[in-house]
Amino acid sequence: MRSEWKVHLLALGMVIIAESIGTIRFQLGPGTVLLLPMLYALVIGMFLPSLRLVNNEDMETASPLIGFAVMFLTAKMGTSIGPNLSSIFKAGPALILQEFGNLGTIFFALPVAVLLLRMGREAVGACFSISREGSLAIVADLYGLDSAEGRGVMGAYITGTLFGAIFNGLMSGFLVNTGLFHPIPLAMACGTGSASMMAAALGPVVAAYPEMTTELTAYAASSQLLSNVDGLYMSLFLGIPITEWLYRVFKGKPVANEPHPAHD
Amino acid sequence: MTTASVFRVFIITAVLSLVGNWLGFNINPIAALPGMIILLILVALGYWLSRVSPIKLPSIAYISALAIIASIPGVPGANLVAEYVGRVEFLSLTTPVLAYTGISIGKDLDAFRRQGPKIVVIALLTFLGTFVGSALIAQVVLKLTGAI
Repeated sequence: MRSEWKVHLLALGMVIIAESIGTIRFQLGPGTVLLLPMLYALVIGMFLPSLRLVNNEDMETASPLIGFAVMFLTAKMGTSIGPNLSSIFKAGPALILQEFGNLGTIFFALPVAVLLLRMGREAVGACFSISREGSLAIVADLYGLDSAEGRGVMGAYITGTLFGAIFNGLMSGFLVNTGLFHPIPLAMACGTGSASMMAAALGPVVAAYPEMTTELTAYAASSQLLSNVDGLYMSLFLGIPITEWLYRVFKGKPVANEPHPAHD
Repeated sequence: MTTASVFRVFIITAVLSLVGNWLGFNINPIAALPGMIILLILVALGYWLSRVSPIKLPSIAYISALAIIASIPGVPGANLVAEYVGRVEFLSLTTPVLAYTGISIGKDLDAFRRQGPKIVVIALLTFLGTFVGSALIAQVVLKLTGAI
């Protein structure tokens, strides 16, 4: 109990410091690097043990609190979906079906993670999605964020926050130049669930086809909206089960660490 | 954790977010309070449903579903939900999450250091996989339907 109040007070202090510094953005190559308050909060936390401000008990106390804090994010995301729900019914088959392409990440990243990099359960957390806020919520709920899966999704989340926009800009620019894809499918692919990544990815597509700017932007925005609407459920009911199954296939043995609700 | 202590954590998280919302986005806590109370109700209700409902789903599935329904235009009060929750910035809700993560991370720091570089590589691969996967499906469907 005393430990919990200490953790809350520390968290309050970290929020105050982090938010007072505020967002810092700077240009790097094709994209913008965003340093967000949440990142400062995380970094401050990393220094707390060496400053002897937290002990092992406090760390254990803080773990389940992450899952409860994440629920507010989920609620906030939900309230931005409702007003846009009707757009699903207006979207064409290509726009809807390409949402399943978001699962392509599993077949792309998981083999590399498990077979090549010999990663453990961190791979499950990092590979089932592009690890945005909804994915944090899912992993927090199913495995707990202090689990191996939690480290995976948290590491990938931070990577995306820092380098997602730059990487998407470079990647999209490269794919446009290969000429393999028509600009419309590329524009649809830009909407993956993160606004800054969408903007960065769309840039090169629009630059290559300036006469189609309005059309391409509309497709990207619709796809982005769809990803926001279906992302959580897509990950929960398809992404995680497929990743778990494929992980078992690669490891060739039953998984010891089955999902368990974090709040049990 | 007992239900009472979970609800206490919900309220404290809401307070932390209000402080962040104020310092980071200059939104007066009084102005943001109704939106935060709405979020608090959605979270508490969704959490409670996941505990008592015979359909075993994670609480976030319930919370998300409730939040979506509450904000569909035409549902009573949906415009108020949109207006009030709009005054709670998304990013001010992420900072407390990462603050608690920061506190708990100390015990996993070694694991993080060992896995970190690999996770960065994998994260970038997931962006590539999602992008190419979506572009491929869209390209095939649009070709098949004769749209391009």
